[in-house]
Amino acid sequence: MSPLRVIGVEYLNARPLWESMRAESMRAESGAPASSGGAASTSGGRISGAPGSIAPIELRLAPPSELARALAEDEADVGLLPVAAAATMGELRLLRNMAIGARGKVRSVAIVAERPIHELDAIALDLSSRTSVVLTRLLLARRKLAPKLFGASPAAAVASIGDRTGALIIGDPALDLEDRYPHRLDLAEDWFEWTQLPFVFAAWFARPDAVSREQEDLFRIAKQKGLARVDQIAAEHAARSGLSEASLRAYLTESIRYDLGDEELAGLQRFWQEGAKAGLLPAATPSFEEPRVASSRPSLDTLLSRAADGERLSGADGVRLLREGSFFELGLAADAVRRRKHPKGVVTYIVDRNVNYTNVCTTSCRFCAFYRPVGHPEGYVLSREVLGQKLKEVVDAGGVQILLQGGLNPDLRIEWYEDLFRWMKKEYGLGLHALSPEEIIHLSRLEGISVRRVLERLNAAGLDSVPGGGAEILVDRVRRKIAKTKCTSSEWLDVMRVAHHMGLRSSATMMYGTIDTPEERVQHLVKIRDLQDETGGFTAFFCWDYQHESGTHLAPGDNGTHLYLRMQAVARLMLDNVDHVGASWVTQGPAVGQVALRFGADDFGSVMFEENVVSSAGTTFRIGAEAIEKRIHDAGFKATRRNVRYDWLTEPA
Amino acid sequence: MLETIRQKVRRGERLTFDDGVALFHEPDLLAVGQLANEVREKLHGDRTYFNRNMRVEVTNVCVASCLFCSFAKLEEHMPGAHTMTLEEAWKALEDRKDDPPTEVHVVNGLHPGLPFSYYEELLAGYKRIDPKVHLKCFTGVEIHFFAQHYKMTYREVLERLRAAGLDSLPGGGAEIFDEDVRKRISHDKATADEYLEVHRVAHGMGMRTNVTMLYGHIETFAHRVDHILRVRALQDETKGFQAFIPLAFHPDGNGMKNLPAPTAVDDLRTLAVSRLLLDNVDHLKAYWVSLTPDVAQIALRFGADDIDGTIVHETIYKAAGTSSPGALRYDDLVRLIREAGRTPIERDTLYNVVREHEKASAPEASMKVKDRVRPGGKRSLEVVS
Ligand code: SF4
Ligand code: SF4
Repeated sequence: MSPLRVIGVEYLNARPLWESMRAESMRAESGAPASSGGAASTSGGRISGAPGSIAPIELRLAPPSELARALAEDEADVGLLPVAAAATMGELRLLRNMAIGARGKVRSVAIVAERPIHELDAIALDLSSRTSVVLTRLLLARRKLAPKLFGASPAAAVASIGDRTGALIIGDPALDLEDRYPHRLDLAEDWFEWTQLPFVFAAWFARPDAVSREQEDLFRIAKQKGLARVDQIAAEHAARSGLSEASLRAYLTESIRYDLGDEELAGLQRFWQEGAKAGLLPAATPSFEEPRVASSRPSLDTLLSRAADGERLSGADGVRLLREGSFFELGLAADAVRRRKHPKGVVTYIVDRNVNYTNVCTTSCRFCAFYRPVGHPEGYVLSREVLGQKLKEVVDAGGVQILLQGGLNPDLRIEWYEDLFRWMKKEYGLGLHALSPEEIIHLSRLEGISVRRVLERLNAAGLDSVPGGGAEILVDRVRRKIAKTKCTSSEWLDVMRVAHHMGLRSSATMMYGTIDTPEERVQHLVKIRDLQDETGGFTAFFCWDYQHESGTHLAPGDNGTHLYLRMQAVARLMLDNVDHVGASWVTQGPAVGQVALRFGADDFGSVMFEENVVSSAGTTFRIGAEAIEKRIHDAGFKATRRNVRYDWLTEPA
Repeated sequence: MLETIRQKVRRGERLTFDDGVALFHEPDLLAVGQLANEVREKLHGDRTYFNRNMRVEVTNVCVASCLFCSFAKLEEHMPGAHTMTLEEAWKALEDRKDDPPTEVHVVNGLHPGLPFSYYEELLAGYKRIDPKVHLKCFTGVEIHFFAQHYKMTYREVLERLRAAGLDSLPGGGAEIFDEDVRKRISHDKATADEYLEVHRVAHGMGMRTNVTMLYGHIETFAHRVDHILRVRALQDETKGFQAFIPLAFHPDGNGMKNLPAPTAVDDLRTLAVSRLLLDNVDHLKAYWVSLTPDVAQIALRFGADDIDGTIVHETIYKAAGTSSPGALRYDDLVRLIREAGRTPIERDTLYNVVREHEKASAPEASMKVKDRVRPGGKRSLEVVS
């Protein structure tokens, strides 16, 4: 029987829930004889029930942000999930009677400051807990306060506390600094004052049909064992952290409540409701029942009208829409969202040019027909003359931007880029939309400096924005298969995070249709949405299907234009916090691009172009501004040109 | 307006001329498509037809000079003019021995110098090669020309051709029926009434035919609606039309090259409105050669239930600059239909089922791919299953 994959967090307050699971497995691993029979005895390094009837438990610990990812990507069956993440995923089953919550003061989650909260101009947020961030926003909104919120690492959050700047701090720092600052808003306490309900921070959530009732008992047994050891847990943590043992014991026994009774459930439900009302969370209802059979599951129509109204959808909602949503209903809902976000009926496009400065690449992505390995006779690096000629053509054609991307060429050092950027800026003054995350990471490795440093140097040399290419599908199972040597999903997202925090804007993209499942496509969208919640730095989203090299692009099994339109519509519905969706006509063809304007897109992308990465794979479409505008008009919109920040450059006509 | 029309459609009430024009002007393209899709699904469910056919254009020499035509040459000696010998024309079918089409579709220019027996022999020869093959040959315009040129009635022409092997008529040559428009774009061939009369006679003889509409040039929406309603009127009378086929005007190499081609939303809307107006014609064809396979796929949600066939040797749209490939393999067509979530049905010319394919179980089911290294170090993924 394959083991039940359980994932927990290493936080002190979570320990009692999982510690005995680990203790059992550790004992088995160290060679202690496995006893048999009876619930919760050890077997093969895992907790198991009666042999042969209950799958054993395999525990792994991870940072909280990793939990949701592991559950969503089917690397874990059960996770001690923060409740905001659980709502975002959707369709999870809640295990009975176990949670991490507080009724009143929790002590470990608080906003601290030198002044009372209503006098603050800004609050630094420790972003490690999205649940606490959402709770912070709700509590601030309730008090009609709108200080500037910005993300920071835990240490940076504390460091940024100043006269009018407070910080949301979580965990040990919060316990440690309990009496340090004159003003402190304990979030669970404030929640209780508002709702008269306990607050639940995290609970065990299981993927549909992953956990049987018998297995659920193992979690309860683990909890009982863990609670019996609270004193030792406090003592151990005191020794490690230097915090007072008595204070920690009180924290674990008095502040934190490990039960999930009716009251806690009501608190959780209320939190999800308030989050949905504020547009911060998908509408969700906690349930102990298997989610896919529960009659509480909303109908597809309900989902679609909610989505059209701009409510936040969970990942599970997105998968249902992608699997079951009909062509027209998805299109009409996405069109409604487009209309709400862009009520003036204007579709933008940009006059720019895609220049691939080198085709030499050390990464051999399986879908890429463009690159040549180092030393290959067909390898090139564009000379200044050739580049200059291309840029001049862009300027002459009224272009405003250059999209500069290339392979990962080990001969080109950062100074080469800096010189190039300075020269381009000085000579041609075009917007510089350059270097996808993959290339930034490559430079950071090549130069042995941080991604931040690379971006700072390039930014100083003239970089204006970062293209979102190379995202493919931000799920590592897929990336490992189609682009083994490419950066991981989190590396890609981290580059964007750093760029956004520096004030650079970027686009986000998605290439689907290789080996990715609908779940993985939606997972990709959720990751973009999560980062966008944090940074707000994505201007637009584009998706396209994998382009096949030979013959007609009907060749790949699953990439019809029918699917493209549905996929783009689902993206428009999921990405409630991204302003623009662009039709990817360069890959899909101008005809399909035009129809895509009725499936949620409000942008027609780029007009002059030289898209080598796509055109080597057998698709080339060339079309000028006039033809683009005709398509925009025929689809029922006004057209205007834009820059990379989507400012209108001409009066829409 | 759309709501009233929707109610009418749902009650099965016939739409009027004004309804048709209103549908062309309705801003909500998807709502129009959705309504057409309702009708299409009521008639055919997910069933989507295609066939194994072969196109032959035996001559491009034509006495007429239609403004939109990039195909015809006025005289035999002009560069690019070509008339096949009978042997050449027959060979096209003989060459398909391994993959025989169920239909041969012949469309030609109006050649002034060939004897009528040429056409009779052409047909008879095809039937000799394959007695089962369906011969869908000569547009209403050609039949009219034959009648004039060889001094016969429509009936006589059709009877002689039928005796030689003709099974049905294709729908080409309809263009736009409106007299003013027709005069401007094709002044020297069969008029609307003559074209429709040919079809009336054919239907009266028990022959099935198709009918087309060439849109996106100088005509207005009202002209399109008028055209469709004239088809509907004749169909009320004869019940002989099998399919209606809107054809998008393509501007390259013809007398209207300054006009832009219609764009995809116009293509889709025209199909949808045709489906809604033509309550008495069974099938609506999204001709993929004209639309491109990508748009044809979307068209299967905008009222169309047929995407024509595998087509080998299409030259008319090629000459007018379509970006479509010249032929799609059988499997490509099946996949194209399945990707749109429909059930592919191979049919013969008369819509008898030849082979019913399975619908794809889930449109997004993941395919299997394998890495492929091509000569020159290029790599790509290849579909395995
Ligand atoms: S997709 Fe980019 S990183 Fe991958 S091989 Fe091609 S050029 Fe290199
Ligand atoms: S459309 Fe037909 S009739 Fe007109 S010129 Fe071309 S071949 Fe001749």
